[in-house]
Amino acid sequence: MAETQSKVRLREYETLFLVRAESTDEQVDALRERVRGIINREGGKALRFSTAGKKKTAYPIEKAARATYVHASYLGDSKLVAEVERNLRNIDNVVRFLSIKLADEVDPETRPVLEDVKVAGDEDVRPVAADEGRSAARDDDSDRDEASEG
Amino acid sequence: MTGIEKTPSGPARHSSDRGDRGGDRGDRGDRGDRGDRGGDDDKRGGRGFGRKKVCRFCVDRDAVVDFKDQATLKYFVTERGKIIPRRISGNCALHQRDVAKAIKRARGVALLPYSAAVG
Repeated sequence: MAETQSKVRLREYETLFLVRAESTDEQVDALRERVRGIINREGGKALRFSTAGKKKTAYPIEKAARATYVHASYLGDSKLVAEVERNLRNIDNVVRFLSIKLADEVDPETRPVLEDVKVAGDEDVRPVAADEGRSAARDDDSDRDEASEG
Repeated sequence: MTGIEKTPSGPARHSSDRGDRGGDRGDRGDRGDRGDRGGDDDKRGGRGFGRKKVCRFCVDRDAVVDFKDQATLKYFVTERGKIIPRRISGNCALHQRDVAKAIKRARGVALLPYSAAVG
């Protein structure tokens, strides 16, 4: 422990944020770079950004059925997370965000900075979330729920 | 089981038995698609283990509970979006807590519904 004390230890965090579906790819890219800038400026280390194309949300957010999901994983401390979240809150295009601590006491040297990833959204793949092979159970379910509500 | 039926005067046992059955009735809505297991229970007088349930996160060491993993979490919610209880999903206590937390996080970022319309 004594010899490792001089080394920097950071926590690993991930932040997922949802960007309005109307925003263009350039806007999303700019947003991503802005967050990356904050992380690197505040003494953190941005590891990876992955951007999912427009995805259908489970429920409408601000009356929109879709949103772009951007996920960032980075090393930093609590001040950095607060700063990132403060910025996200001030950006009108960001409708939701969620930050989670993944690990404590990470040595920044051991974690490489990874390539950004782009995942395709489900632009026009499935209109409705598929729930196959459950129709029998569904009848049963709905009956019961109605009964309990009444 | 037959022993209990022969001595219905035993109040403690009788009431506990009734309690079990009440529990079964209560969760039938969520069971729906798992009727086969319920049938097993009935045959053994509500005492048997229909099928040995295992926690999939304990069995598979590589599997981690992740709020972004929509496909996995879907196993642990009903069509309505309710969290499936541990006695049915078979998760161990630790992983059920993780799963529940992950589901709630996923709801917050609209990966899973708080409540989905059925039918």
